[in-house]
Amino acid sequence: MSFSSVVTKRWRVALAFALLALVVLVGCVPLPTDPSWASITVLPETGQIMLGFHDRVTLLDVTTGQLVPLRNDSGQTRVDGQGNPLRWDIPISNNPPTVFYSAPVRRDENTLLFPTFQRRIIEVDIRNAQVLNPPGTLIDETITATNHIVTDVLATEDALYIPLSERNLIAVSRIDYSVLWTFETRYGVWVQPQMIDDMLYFTSLDHNFYAVDAETGREIWQVSLGGAAPGKPVFHEGYFYVGSFANRLYKISLEGRIVADVMTNDWVWGSPAIATEDELLYVGDSSGWLYALDIRGDGMQLLWQRQVATRVIRATPIIDGNTLIVASRDRFVYWLSRDDGVETFRRELRGEIYANMVVVEPSETVRIPEPYLLVSSQAREELLVAYSLATGEVQWRYNR
Amino acid sequence: MDFILNPFVTLLTWLYATFGNNMVLAIFVFTVLVRLAMYPLMARQLRSSIEMQQVQPKLKEIQEKYKNDREKLAQEQMKLYREHGINPFGGCLPILIQFPIWAAILGAIQFALATTPTHLLDLSGRLLIPGLGTTIPLDNRFLGMNLTQPPNLQQIPAIALLALVAVTTWYQMKISMPKPQPTADGKPDQAAAMSQSMTTILPVMYVFLSLSYTIGLSIYILVSNLISIVQTYIINRQRKALQEKMELASVAIDTKNKAKELPVAVKEKDKKPVPQASRRKATKTK
Repeated sequence: MSFSSVVTKRWRVALAFALLALVVLVGCVPLPTDPSWASITVLPETGQIMLGFHDRVTLLDVTTGQLVPLRNDSGQTRVDGQGNPLRWDIPISNNPPTVFYSAPVRRDENTLLFPTFQRRIIEVDIRNAQVLNPPGTLIDETITATNHIVTDVLATEDALYIPLSERNLIAVSRIDYSVLWTFETRYGVWVQPQMIDDMLYFTSLDHNFYAVDAETGREIWQVSLGGAAPGKPVFHEGYFYVGSFANRLYKISLEGRIVADVMTNDWVWGSPAIATEDELLYVGDSSGWLYALDIRGDGMQLLWQRQVATRVIRATPIIDGNTLIVASRDRFVYWLSRDDGVETFRRELRGEIYANMVVVEPSETVRIPEPYLLVSSQAREELLVAYSLATGEVQWRYNR
Repeated sequence: MDFILNPFVTLLTWLYATFGNNMVLAIFVFTVLVRLAMYPLMARQLRSSIEMQQVQPKLKEIQEKYKNDREKLAQEQMKLYREHGINPFGGCLPILIQFPIWAAILGAIQFALATTPTHLLDLSGRLLIPGLGTTIPLDNRFLGMNLTQPPNLQQIPAIALLALVAVTTWYQMKISMPKPQPTADGKPDQAAAMSQSMTTILPVMYVFLSLSYTIGLSIYILVSNLISIVQTYIINRQRKALQEKMELASVAIDTKNKAKELPVAVKEKDKKPVPQASRRKATKTK
């Protein structure tokens, strides 16, 4: 064995170790895989659940959590060439890549519009679960490809108001998706705008809360929230309630004046829930703290705060009588007392919970024995779970 | 990884806020700080390479002497390393340690420049300084490029960045590698030639990494290379002095060894029977 061969071997070993270390350690960096979370919409006429997440949109039966079968005009289940029943599951090709995180928008009785992460609008025939305009219509080709849609779009009779992840809110025509106007923000808009009297209200990551004329896109006012605000403001009795990364929850008038604010322990991301009958507001923060506030009048008073979870509470709390239901990134759903936040019981899911929960009430068309609580996790094996709202008993699980 | 990642994310975000909300400047200062922290390791790597150069002639002697006895060869090599205080893998360790730091930097840039809701949620628990959250989001644009994306080869600044990464890596390797010295038989030293070949491999590897990851990481590599070039110039100045010092130390070790060998030789000589002729010669001399 010559010296040179020893050293050569050393270099080879070093190089091999270096590459191995790189692969292993970069693999250890916990980079999230999904940019956003599921969108859950309950179709009012049927009670069926439209679930948009990642590579597909599916329609689920609320009683069983199974994919809804496609039926012909006589009500029989349709089958494919091999005799297999056809299900309501949008087959999207990966060329170009298509990912969903937004709720669909109804275009007409038979057509739904699906905004995609890649800024396309896909038109879907509801009865046949078929894409009418593959691969979808690209919205505003002039902006960068990394400016995505990561939240719900607001639809009116004439326009779609589309928030974009890097910057700007755009209004496009509902007919041909041409851009009507662009409202420029320095950073992204990650909330669905809400419309009150022809005005759009939305927050942005650029720390501001905006009021914009829906017709022209002209700014009416803006107010600084001191930090990024990726949560949707809640409007109640003439005031907006919205949190920000400045560790504050604000109460803002329709004229854009901050009338009250309350300090929190960490970032406020999720939208608050308001119990209208007793004017109480509940909101969670990024450290798992829950706050109860009295919002009567012009002020806002903290009643109690309690750390109920170990990680971020992004989903809006659900109010059910004297119970408050909170979901966290720590993978738990908590049933709490509204009086003081003390836990009654909890349920664990396999994935982290970011998406807003949905309550489905029984009705003539929705034939379920009791109200269901729908919770979506980031884990494919428990993408959607239906719990009994009252007891937390699992009714069904939907997995992919 | 969080114990490395979270301080890095915090430091990068704090630097961003401190240096006028400029991410490239923040990465620059961040790189300088990381390189300063790693300077002892780099100096150790240099020392190790000089030490290896110093003992090379002796190693060759040993290899020649014990070329038919591998076990003895290994023993003698280890003995030589021990005598000169050399860790044979001392040059590899600093290289290996850089990779977890790279992984953390990659993660820090990715998390600090969170561009999607889940990325931003991941950032929420990582900032260790209260109040730093108000600087979020960080501006991820630089010369029309998105720092969170891999370089787009249709953009001139991205191509220029990759070219700079390649050139600075090559130059940094070139000035830090010892020149290949011909061996006694006139052939080029294989080990040195191998080291020289790294000047080709590493730039290609770094460009590949830059293309695979983000522009933020490419900027880190570029700044890191520039700092390395400056450091290497400084170290090369010190190298000569260090080499002289080590040569002196080497001579001291040799002298000590010879001194140890001498009494043994004398004793063995004493034991040898003195030939008659020598005795007579000695008697005559008296």
